[in-house]
Amino acid sequence: MRLKSKHKRYALSCLWICLLFFTSAPSFANQEQDAPGLELARQVVKEAKNTTTADHSRFKALNQDFTSGPEITKACLSCHTEAADQLKKTLHWTWLDPNSPKDNQRGKAGYSINNFCISANAMNDHHCNECHIGWNEKGKETEIDCLKCHGQKKINWEEVFQDYKILTESKDPEENVLAKDAQAEIHEAAQSIGRPTRKNCGSCHFSGGGGDGVKHGDLDPSLINPNRKLNVHMGYDGQDFECSRCHTTVAHHVAGRIYGTPASETRHSLLEHDLEPKIMCESCHSDKPHELSSKMNDHTDKVACQACHVPVIAKVLPVQRWWDWSRAGKKKDGKPYDVNGPFGKPVYQSTKGDTKWEKNVIPNYLWFNGSIKGFTAKDMIDPSKVVKLAWPEGNRNEKNARIFPFNIHSGKQPYDTVNKTMTTPLLSGEHGYWTTFDWQDSIQRGAKYLNLPFSGKIDFVETAYVFPSTHMVAPREEALKCNQCHTRPDSRLADLAGFYMPGRDKVKLIDIAGWAIVLSSFVGIVLHALGRIFANGRKKEE
Amino acid sequence: MLKRLIITLMAMCFVFATIGIGFAGEDGNARKGKYTYRNVYKSCNKRGEVDSPRPPLGPDSKTQAQWKRTFDKKEFDQFKCGEEWSKLSEKDLNDIYTYLHEHAADSPSPAKCK
Repeated sequence: MRLKSKHKRYALSCLWICLLFFTSAPSFANQEQDAPGLELARQVVKEAKNTTTADHSRFKALNQDFTSGPEITKACLSCHTEAADQLKKTLHWTWLDPNSPKDNQRGKAGYSINNFCISANAMNDHHCNECHIGWNEKGKETEIDCLKCHGQKKINWEEVFQDYKILTESKDPEENVLAKDAQAEIHEAAQSIGRPTRKNCGSCHFSGGGGDGVKHGDLDPSLINPNRKLNVHMGYDGQDFECSRCHTTVAHHVAGRIYGTPASETRHSLLEHDLEPKIMCESCHSDKPHELSSKMNDHTDKVACQACHVPVIAKVLPVQRWWDWSRAGKKKDGKPYDVNGPFGKPVYQSTKGDTKWEKNVIPNYLWFNGSIKGFTAKDMIDPSKVVKLAWPEGNRNEKNARIFPFNIHSGKQPYDTVNKTMTTPLLSGEHGYWTTFDWQDSIQRGAKYLNLPFSGKIDFVETAYVFPSTHMVAPREEALKCNQCHTRPDSRLADLAGFYMPGRDKVKLIDIAGWAIVLSSFVGIVLHALGRIFANGRKKEE
Repeated sequence: MLKRLIITLMAMCFVFATIGIGFAGEDGNARKGKYTYRNVYKSCNKRGEVDSPRPPLGPDSKTQAQWKRTFDKKEFDQFKCGEEWSKLSEKDLNDIYTYLHEHAADSPSPAKCK
């Protein structure tokens, strides 16, 4: 009889285990279905990719002979009548932050200072203007170049227009015939129109700061044709997103952060507001992107999605991490020279100084409410400290602030030791530093363009500049694991202070209390089980 | 006296030869050469021998010395499109050579073929 009851208990236990196993297994299998954020994201990308309804090669306006870029723009605007007015109000044209004070306006056309080519000297450093969306290097004193963003065929416009002019005006009939070939090239490029591709956006955003991967770490030419391992959204073997898929564009205004203005202050999903731009992760994935039972959903109010899903940047190409202008200007045999280092990148250039490059960089984690405080040439500095030329705003008490990954670029730049301000040297052109190697003269010229004082006395100060790491989104299997943050001593969040984080932090009292609860629970369970066993056994005997 | 005359004559020969060689290599029309070179591949692409209408090699694919050797020996087999290359006149070839040589990898203005 006793044996039988034992068997019964074993059978019951087995039944319980089976029941537990079979009830929990389906919920694991259906994890994706349970994640409301994932379902929403799938709905968002359901629509067909090709929405073009026009063949631009059939437009009469684009079949005339063009002798200059602005003529092409005129042809574009003959149909797209509002485009120029729309575009000229955007940051892409103005290069000015509309939300900054008028007497200290941020932006490349304003007083902003960065960690790379330092200043665009109010668009008078023509080298910087290569990335402005006009037809030449004269900044805003030209017509919009629609093809910078919409052209699907890249050609050297300056060269082909010059060729066309010379070949047309030549007295050699053979050259006149070849002029038609030059015009055919112009036509082909002017008629190859489309929505901006990764290549269009990348021609500036992947190579800003004077070369590939100088600035961001999560934006470089490897994203022109990435696989999903590099970027799960943009990968050709994944969703194959173009930039504008998230940088939703309305009337030529491209969604995204503008200096101190966050990309979105509402953080709504498309379920809440269907006309919201898709610029935030929450826009498509909602604030519950994981399966409903997942603890990860409880993190989204304090940890940005990118913190776990962009675990590494500069995965294919190296990113520049250090730029020391104080070392620039050395010459060999009276001539400027370059020294290449690892990754085939320059580690010294007479024109630029020392630089350091890294690959597979682990980001730094900081609180971020979506605003980045930028520094200008008018702001006073404290040269005894590192000057943070661009630094995220926000702290853990702010509703919109999250822990966010950043690429921190450091360097050294010249500053005015009397006025205690950063300087704005002119770099390119006949009188720029890259030609004259004369700091005094180039800074004087740069200051003049911005109407700023310059004492003539300079030294170099260490600077830092952040870029949010948001683009190289890894597939979920490569996202951070819990124990990469909830650990000690190598937690990724080791530098973030002011809050208790299980696993990373240790408070003796809490630990003792916790273990006491665990232990007493265990003892309680054992005592209870023993009580049931003995009581049960006695009952049977009776 | 005779020695001085010989030296002078030799020096003059050397100077003329150097200038001559220099001019011989550079008297083509680079602009014409650029479009003629591109037209070779446009025609060839239309005929179906190559997949792209763009030349497979840009000027910066070779150094100036390599382009000189290629054109001196007329080693055009590597460029494919033999039918089109065979139709080019000496003047056309010289124009193409001038274009490629002027923008070679080690030239002051290296260029890709757009």
